[in-house]
Amino acid sequence: MVKFGDLFWKALILTVIVFLLGVLLGFALERNRIGDIEREFQRIDLQWSDAKLQTLYYQNLEPRFCNSAIRENLEFADKVYNEGLKIENYDAASFLTDDLELEKRKYALLKVEFWLNSIVLRERCKADYINLVYFFANDPEFEIESEQDTQAEILKDLKEKYGKSLMLIPLPIDMDISMINIMKGTYDISKTPTILINEKIKLEGLQSLDEIENLIENEQL
Amino acid sequence: MEFITGVYLFFIFVSLYSVFLILLIYLRNKDKLYFEKGAEKFYDISVIIPAYNKEDSILDTVNAVKSIDYPKDKIEIIVVDDGSKDKTARIVANIEGIKFFEKGYNSGKSDSVNLGIRNARGEIIAVIDADSYPEKDSFKKMIGYFDDPEVGAVTASCFVKNTGKLIEKLQAVEYFLIAFGRKILDFIDSVYVTPGSLSMYRKKLLVEVGGFDTKNITEDIEIAWKILKNKYKNRMCLSAKVYTDVPNTLRKWWRQRLRWNIGGFQTVHKYKDSFFKKKLNMFGLFVVPRFFISHVLSITGFFVFVYVFGREIFQKATYWILSIQSGNTILEAPSLFLIPSVFTFFILLLFVFTLVFTYIGLKTANKIGIGFRVSFIILFYLLFYLTLYPLVLLHSLYLLAAGNVRW
Repeated sequence: MVKFGDLFWKALILTVIVFLLGVLLGFALERNRIGDIEREFQRIDLQWSDAKLQTLYYQNLEPRFCNSAIRENLEFADKVYNEGLKIENYDAASFLTDDLELEKRKYALLKVEFWLNSIVLRERCKADYINLVYFFANDPEFEIESEQDTQAEILKDLKEKYGKSLMLIPLPIDMDISMINIMKGTYDISKTPTILINEKIKLEGLQSLDEIENLIENEQL
Repeated sequence: MEFITGVYLFFIFVSLYSVFLILLIYLRNKDKLYFEKGAEKFYDISVIIPAYNKEDSILDTVNAVKSIDYPKDKIEIIVVDDGSKDKTARIVANIEGIKFFEKGYNSGKSDSVNLGIRNARGEIIAVIDADSYPEKDSFKKMIGYFDDPEVGAVTASCFVKNTGKLIEKLQAVEYFLIAFGRKILDFIDSVYVTPGSLSMYRKKLLVEVGGFDTKNITEDIEIAWKILKNKYKNRMCLSAKVYTDVPNTLRKWWRQRLRWNIGGFQTVHKYKDSFFKKKLNMFGLFVVPRFFISHVLSITGFFVFVYVFGREIFQKATYWILSIQSGNTILEAPSLFLIPSVFTFFILLLFVFTLVFTYIGLKTANKIGIGFRVSFIILFYLLFYLTLYPLVLLHSLYLLAAGNVRW
């Protein structure tokens, strides 16, 4: 070994260098994506503050402009929803850092805030959109994961079909966020997947597209 | 970071290390790959051909040996029939100019070779399988290595003779790479096998170490390790070629590989005391640990693969069943959007290295042009053929655990 020792050491040094470069590149990629999400969050947060103020203004001072507030809210809903899908994709490619967890929590809070605003807006402005909150777990048990995946796909189809007349708000229940815990307590959410329609109808377990559609149609009547 | 990510990274680190080690050895010695130590002396060579049920090939093997370009008075050919049930013995009995021993019972290749050694007059013993055909100049290319008194054995490049079927073509690629890989290991005194297709041994050494182990089913690995343990060197002569018949069905291939693996385990077990023994030089510090670690990693890697992909497949299947039950669409265009991660970089890097190694190996061992058809075979070899290795390994382990090892 001593005779060829230099080869083994050189190979080790090369390996360490390339390995570290690869890991650093991985970190850089993940940090870059988190930066991307952070920037997007700041943009959305700013837009959300604007939307909230508009809601406040229209609700209290100019009720006749409720439609504008509803439109803003719906547009915002789509943005948050799409950003959530992007975070999901990024999450699948994050192996080295946990920083995405923080972003996920920030978005979860934003979605709760948005949900509350939607409730208020629907009541005050007599809006006819449907609030559908989908409770899921980020880290579900093995047998639940497939159910959640199926339910998520069904809800995506539903959202495509109903467009802006459906507010789809996916909320993770296992992130230990106080506000979500309060909501869980209020609506007695203990398992996933669970769907809450207009804060009235609670559906536990996997629901088919037809079942949800029927309930939505009844709600809209 | 999750545990499984750590496992992946560990595997990547080990793979990278192997790649760089091979690359460095290659770069340092690439001008010496075809180095031939010219024969200063024509040693007496006793060629031992053990044969068991080889009626189809034995005559061609003996004829190939007879036509070897080497002083005729310096070669004796010894054929040992290992209790064949076919016409092997009858065919050999009619060949002139050879020594023929008919044992009348089947006791394995090692025992047959040992019988040949006891009756050999040469200083050098060449063992050739009864379905292998050495090239005319192979002996002259190999014999010069024995001028170095530290050399105990010399091996040749073993190539595939029958390359009609896909499985034979895949083995042809594999054999080229094995030859190239063995030459690389030669540069660090770590040739760990002296293949039965054609290997030469110093007779004095074979007698000293008690010949071939009759209990081991891969006697060519065991004897190579015994030589290394006795502080002799095994050499690889890349330019000396021998062609051999390889299994032409998956079933036969599988059986052959089971034998190789189980024999490998037997050998590791036998030499476990040599593990990391500094006084045994490369044998203790590299050959034995490398053999052991590569087996462990291969099996562990297989289980990780089964866990990760099995989980994924199970989940996809459940998802499809649930989707059908819920009346949801399951046929949708798969997302082609690939988000790069730490593994994208490493997997690409390792794949490129593997391709480069395969390309250099094929070019070096066979000096062939890599056309479309060969490229297809190489890709098939890399993507499918190699994935069979861990499966055979697991089957071997099962047989070993069940105590069901009979050949």
